[in-house]
Amino acid sequence: MEQILKLPPSDEELVRMTLRDKEHFGALVDRYQAKLTRYIARLGVRDPEDQMDVLQDVFLKTYRNLNDFDTSLKFSSWVYRIAHNEAVSWFRKRSVRPEGHLIGDSEEMISFLSSKEETADAEFDKTINSKEVNEAMLKIDEKYREVLILRFFEHKEYDEISDILKIPLGSVGTLLHRGKKQLASALNQEAIRI
Amino acid sequence: MEKNDKQPKQLKEALFERIEAEKVCPKPRLLFQSRECLVWFLWILSIIIGALAVAVSLFVIMHHQYDFYEATHENFLTFLVEVLPFAWFFVFGLIAYVSIYNLRHTAHGYRYPVWVIISSSLVLSFAGGSTLQMFGLGFTVDKILGDNMHMYMSQEKLEQRVWQNPEDGRLLGKQVLSTTAPTTTVIFEDSVGKRWQMDVSELEEHEVVLLRSEMKVKLIGKTSNPDFKIFHACGAFPWMMDRETTLEELNEERKAFVEKVSSHAIKARQLFFKEKVASGTAESLKESICAEIAPVKRMPIRDLDA
Repeated sequence: MEQILKLPPSDEELVRMTLRDKEHFGALVDRYQAKLTRYIARLGVRDPEDQMDVLQDVFLKTYRNLNDFDTSLKFSSWVYRIAHNEAVSWFRKRSVRPEGHLIGDSEEMISFLSSKEETADAEFDKTINSKEVNEAMLKIDEKYREVLILRFFEHKEYDEISDILKIPLGSVGTLLHRGKKQLASALNQEAIRI
Repeated sequence: MEKNDKQPKQLKEALFERIEAEKVCPKPRLLFQSRECLVWFLWILSIIIGALAVAVSLFVIMHHQYDFYEATHENFLTFLVEVLPFAWFFVFGLIAYVSIYNLRHTAHGYRYPVWVIISSSLVLSFAGGSTLQMFGLGFTVDKILGDNMHMYMSQEKLEQRVWQNPEDGRLLGKQVLSTTAPTTTVIFEDSVGKRWQMDVSELEEHEVVLLRSEMKVKLIGKTSNPDFKIFHACGAFPWMMDRETTLEELNEERKAFVEKVSSHAIKARQLFFKEKVASGTAESLKESICAEIAPVKRMPIRDLDA
């Protein structure tokens, strides 16, 4: 008997299916829960309970606004945008500053920064550890931090970052370039201080 | 809120419980489509209002009575400060901001660089405004607003205010009594209803005819006696603010004004040299009151020579 390989439904198909039957929404939650938990943690929502609260709000908002999903976007961009907005509004409600939580990913970031020519001529000490990167990330402007997180930790493409943060494509490149410069400078200061 | 749901499955369960408990449903698509339509509608509306603002501004700038500025103002700068449509500039700026804001908030508006959005809004408003002005809408809007809004200073109102100023040698109104017999004095009623004895001895024949037509005219001259309301007329020009005028008409008017002031200036020069030759007194200057009026002194020599 011929076995037919059935691919799992795409996000967009799941959205359509959810609009017919809400039980399908569970599949989308399963697909994005871990990713979004990491993302909001990187944005600074550190406490697991807070993360759960924010995530519930993110998914609830996603569900409520399913009909607003623009199929010209990727679903992931759309849901990341909602998560970003919810995290930002969570900070505002709590009147707290984001606390970085990037540990574990920093080596990848450092290697990327060191390999590119637009790193403001910075030669990074490979021994720089995650803690230093976290501290440096917290020192740079928020607008740069969120772009760097999406690009180097979430591995999003420029057009996806543009859709998530609702900024022009050209601005993504500019923010990344300036963000890397600022991060490099912050990392150098850290090294000097140490 | 389920504070203790830390495991993936628990989050999903808690979420579905909330969806059930709060009876959460996806909002209807129509709602989002309407919102998007509203934003586009507001953007189009702001472009239209911006175009109107540009049309009126162009009308004000292009059709303003700049051809008489030596008669009405000390210099071109003071003239500009008084006549530029600052209120409309403000309206245009505000509307441009609203249109840019709206465009940025459409579904894909954020994808375009700010300069593209700003320049597209400005270009559309300018293009629309220029087209509307070509069809005379700038004049119409300005007049309608002026007629219906007490606070709005239309060009017609502004011109009336500028020209009804006998102390500075300007009068606006019409001749009220005509006579067939040759005379150098006529009765003139200004725009606020005051009657003047008008000395027309230094006016040319076509100006006397214009006055006699009993149409509204603007006069340059000098108040000989403010108590007895005696005005010495040095030039008469048709009032054109009650209709839309073409640039050609305005150019013609400017030419007529320059010629008029030039003729008085020539008289002033002749009198000056005559006085020098005769070593006379200032008595000779009394032969022409018009040689002394402010526009003669203000008009640059090159305009007189032109």
